[in-house]
Amino acid sequence: MKVRSVVISSLVVQIKQTYARNMYKFCLLVSPLMSTILLAEMYRNSEHDNFTSYIVLGAGLMSLWGCICFSSAGDINRERYSNTLSLIFISPSSFQAILFGKVIGNTILSLFSVLLTAVYSFVLYRQPIVIENMPMFLVSFLITIISFMVFSIFVAYILVLSRRTEILMNCIDVPLILVCGFVFPIEVLPMWTQYISKAFPMTWSIKLMRQSIMSPSVDGDFFISMTYAIGTIIVYALLSNLLYKLIAKRVRIEASLEMA
Amino acid sequence: MSIIEVRDLYRDYVTKKGVVFPKKEVIHAVSGITFDVKEGEIFGLLGQNGAGKSTTIKILITMLAPTSGECRVLGYNTYGEEKKIRHRINFIFGGELGVYRRLSARDNLRYFANLYKLPMGDRDKRIDELLELVGLSDKADLRTETYSKGMIQKVQIARGLINNPEILFMDEPTVGLDPLAAQTLRNIIRLLKEQGKTILLTTHNMYEVDELCDRVAIINKGKIVTLDTPNNIKAQMEENEEIQKHLEQVKLKEAENLSRITLEEAYIQLVRSSVDKEAKNES
Ligand SMILES: Nc1ncnc2c1ncn2[C@@H]1O[C@H](COP(=O)(O)OP(=O)(O)OP(=O)(O)O)[C@@H](O)[C@H]1O
Ligand SMILES: [Mg+2]
Repeated sequence: MKVRSVVISSLVVQIKQTYARNMYKFCLLVSPLMSTILLAEMYRNSEHDNFTSYIVLGAGLMSLWGCICFSSAGDINRERYSNTLSLIFISPSSFQAILFGKVIGNTILSLFSVLLTAVYSFVLYRQPIVIENMPMFLVSFLITIISFMVFSIFVAYILVLSRRTEILMNCIDVPLILVCGFVFPIEVLPMWTQYISKAFPMTWSIKLMRQSIMSPSVDGDFFISMTYAIGTIIVYALLSNLLYKLIAKRVRIEASLEMA
Repeated sequence: MSIIEVRDLYRDYVTKKGVVFPKKEVIHAVSGITFDVKEGEIFGLLGQNGAGKSTTIKILITMLAPTSGECRVLGYNTYGEEKKIRHRINFIFGGELGVYRRLSARDNLRYFANLYKLPMGDRDKRIDELLELVGLSDKADLRTETYSKGMIQKVQIARGLINNPEILFMDEPTVGLDPLAAQTLRNIIRLLKEQGKTILLTTHNMYEVDELCDRVAIINKGKIVTLDTPNNIKAQMEENEEIQKHLEQVKLKEAENLSRITLEEAYIQLVRSSVDKEAKNES
């Protein structure tokens, strides 16, 4: 009960605090537009002609990634610079619940961005959005959102550890879009990167989404991917939990909650 | 049992210097201090800039780990048993940071009321009372990014009182406050003492220390130089030649000013009466 109120109020603060930023509004509204146009042009003369699967989904995923993970990460440092990170960290509420609330807040905002992607692509290109297997698509979409959330919590903890880790976020931004197959299937990448891809829950859940968009029926492969998706989600959740325990001690030893 | 116990406390900061071949540099911020604060006491930590006052407070409020030594607050170790401490204490830091700038004062307080697990029924009433107490009621719904330095400081004060803490830690809480607001804060501190709360504060304002503190510790370079009541410290230094010379001069000046009030007293009176006048005109 108390935990719920901590999560909800962190979520509300997150949305208010984030939405008030003009830069964020710009990203929320304009970046889906740019991704949609770029992807549409990229695929114009290719043999892949599934508009929904590569353009709408690709642009939508890029928005999701930008809004959930990038904001969750950036927020940690914003809170550090404004000295509120230490305040929430030493409040009697669980920091894990606070962070969870923040990530849900970002997720809600980012869903809006995904919706915009669909609207933009429909308005600009007049192509119907076709989803062959709606129930499975919805399930896959849910799994994808959970993958992003779990992954952003993981990244956010690393950012709590030290402000120097901000550079990590800049390093993984674009590679992750490619490695997890946001905009094209990972099979076009060399074998060794495919192994890396498989370590991320997003890779599996995106595969599920693409399958449910393109094919009306589900096969064994679909359920294997789903098992991997859920498996990697659990692994990341457990890792995050371990990481938190480590970080709760480290930040107090290294005095990294505040700017020196 | 003392409500705050600091035993042989050390705290180092390790920083890295240089970009290509970073060198480690160790700063000894606190180097072996020991003191106790009794329940209901107002305890002052004094000392030069960089003496280690804020570091000590941050360890006590469970924000930092000690390098060695031990701190106990309410009988619990600040590093290891922090869960048993956090909901019973609070802190006020001077400065313009520490608020969500895109939220209003009320929203800031609401959020911390939730984090400090105030019952829903009491929450809004408590927030109204605190806003009234620090004098922010009429601006409570504006974003704090539009506030002046002192107004942000007032939000911090209200936030520090949100959970009605048993111990309040204050690090230069009057910094940036105008004399009237500083006096209000001193009154709040006295009121808290009447309610039996314990207060540990740092300030560079000696007048404040003399007026408020039951006991003070003077820290220099991370070590305690003196720990006593303000009166004893004064008495102890009375024989000092330098001070005697200075006193002679002060006495001469005072003879001239005997019947006069201080500028601060005059200022506070002036501001008060104009505030009262405004209030009368409005009603
Ligand atoms: N996060 C940090 N990293 C590195 N050094 C630090 C850090 N925080 C404080 N120090 C150093 O530790 C020493 C003690 O600092 P502290 O803030 O405790 O002093 P203070 O007594 O509160 O001073 P002031 O009156 O200026 O507020 C200083 O030399 C300071 O430079
Ligand atoms: Mg200080």
